[in-house]
Amino acid sequence: MDEYLVGVLSNVGVISFVALSAYLLLLTGEITFGQQAFFAIGAYAAGIATAMWGWTLAAGLGFGALAGALSATIVGVPTLRLHGLYFAIATLAFAEMVRILFEMFRYQIEIDGEWVGPNGADGFRDIRYIFENDISGMEFMLIIYGLLTVILAGFMLLERSRLGVIFRMIGEDEVLAGLQGVSVARYRILAAAIAGALAGIGGGLYAHLTTYIEPRIFDVMLGVHSLAYGLIGGLGTALGPILGVLIDIGLLESIRALSGYRMIIFGGLVALLLIVRPRGLLDERLVHRIGVALRGGRKMRV
Amino acid sequence: MLELHRLTKHFGGVRAVDGVDLIVNPGEVLGLIGPNGSGKSTTVNLICGLFPLTSGLIMFKGEDISALPPHERVTRGIARTFQNIRLFGQLTVWQNLWVAQNSAEQRRQNPVRRWFGGGGSAREDIGRTLEFFDLAHKRDELAGNLAFGEQRRLEFARAFAAKPVLLLLDEPAAGMNAEEIDQLDARIRTLRDTGMAILLIEHHVELVMSVADRIAVLNFGQKIAEGSPAEVQNNPLVREAYLGTATAA
Repeated sequence: MDEYLVGVLSNVGVISFVALSAYLLLLTGEITFGQQAFFAIGAYAAGIATAMWGWTLAAGLGFGALAGALSATIVGVPTLRLHGLYFAIATLAFAEMVRILFEMFRYQIEIDGEWVGPNGADGFRDIRYIFENDISGMEFMLIIYGLLTVILAGFMLLERSRLGVIFRMIGEDEVLAGLQGVSVARYRILAAAIAGALAGIGGGLYAHLTTYIEPRIFDVMLGVHSLAYGLIGGLGTALGPILGVLIDIGLLESIRALSGYRMIIFGGLVALLLIVRPRGLLDERLVHRIGVALRGGRKMRV
Repeated sequence: MLELHRLTKHFGGVRAVDGVDLIVNPGEVLGLIGPNGSGKSTTVNLICGLFPLTSGLIMFKGEDISALPPHERVTRGIARTFQNIRLFGQLTVWQNLWVAQNSAEQRRQNPVRRWFGGGGSAREDIGRTLEFFDLAHKRDELAGNLAFGEQRRLEFARAFAAKPVLLLLDEPAAGMNAEEIDQLDARIRTLRDTGMAILLIEHHVELVMSVADRIAVLNFGQKIAEGSPAEVQNNPLVREAYLGTATAA
């Protein structure tokens, strides 16, 4: 596999985490423009853990996930009382605050005569864990996809579980969900925490993939795209947002002939799908039909 | 079972419900009727906690539940249906019932079974509910794909699955044909005979007169009459509320 393709696929994998994070919140009916904040927090946390504190990659990623989940919970408690547009704007404001705080964030230590650590708007260089440990680009890609597979398996379990049904109920009609005995506020915060952890892991992987992060990477466009991936790919299955990432990063950004028109095609695609398929390509109805077809024989008995 | 004391709800200057006293007993169907805008649906919304009271008290099983959030009232045994059908259209019939299923039934399950599909007894329970409401053949269909009559039945089934001791039915016969109304009548009687308390809001006069043990009449947010179906039918105040006064004509 050539290096370029490995790079593209690694990117697709990493962005899939933040897309899944926004997707989870879409399931519970919340539109967020702020998941890039938890992606950033995860990236900084994991980078600091491995490059400055000498932790292993696994521990660093775990720390990134934890930081994402914790900060999402702290932000979620006040903001999840808001709905629709108000929630969307609150998440956007929070994410911009985080980005600007990272521009002021300086925390450096001297390692082997060099200063390492986040240096405000100049970013955080030399997150060199994968070079120091002789992990090739190919191997790191496999790590990314290994983790993504685990997360996707978790989503598949979620969709079959009571928790997944409750998330979808809240997304469809939260008043009615409350009247089924569901404590809506508690499940909303749980969803936000899981989404924060997912974005945090993605951020941690991203920091190690690029070895260099800076605040301006985590701007609002990343959040808007993360949201759009689920809306394009579909809200019927966790494969939906990944399909969205593949279309955007895998095709539009990576094929040279298309990349100049990326935002035009992407924006047009979003507009078109919102009109003809408001719940995305792989929407609930399609996923249900595929499910019935796959289990066809067994179903006929009923 | 359920006691409303001076139940009052004002929306700005509108007195939607104005000092209503009501009692619903176990094993009884209380019909709640009244002209449009008389406060029937608001009363039901207040009982299940969709908005706070202006004043008054809601007692349920001897306990004041006026300040409880909706989901805690459900777990205490209050379930309802809606005048305009409200279902989770993107979920299957089975999933609609699964989460609604009485949590006491679910708590007997071990956590893995509880969160992943329910154990044998929970599944059988849903199966029986589906049979009772004639929906077994639609078990894996998305609720949004059901026909109107089936959606009405599913809504009723979902309220029933919660194993309520108090069931609030908000115009369950709306849009039904004669045959479906007969089935509805029979189902309400079956449930009442199990000891369930049922509050039935209905415009379909024949159904209310047939199935209700007692009837209360609301007009402009106040209770103007209460009694057996025959008593209410002959009450001059009720006739006036529905038809207007003779002198005004």
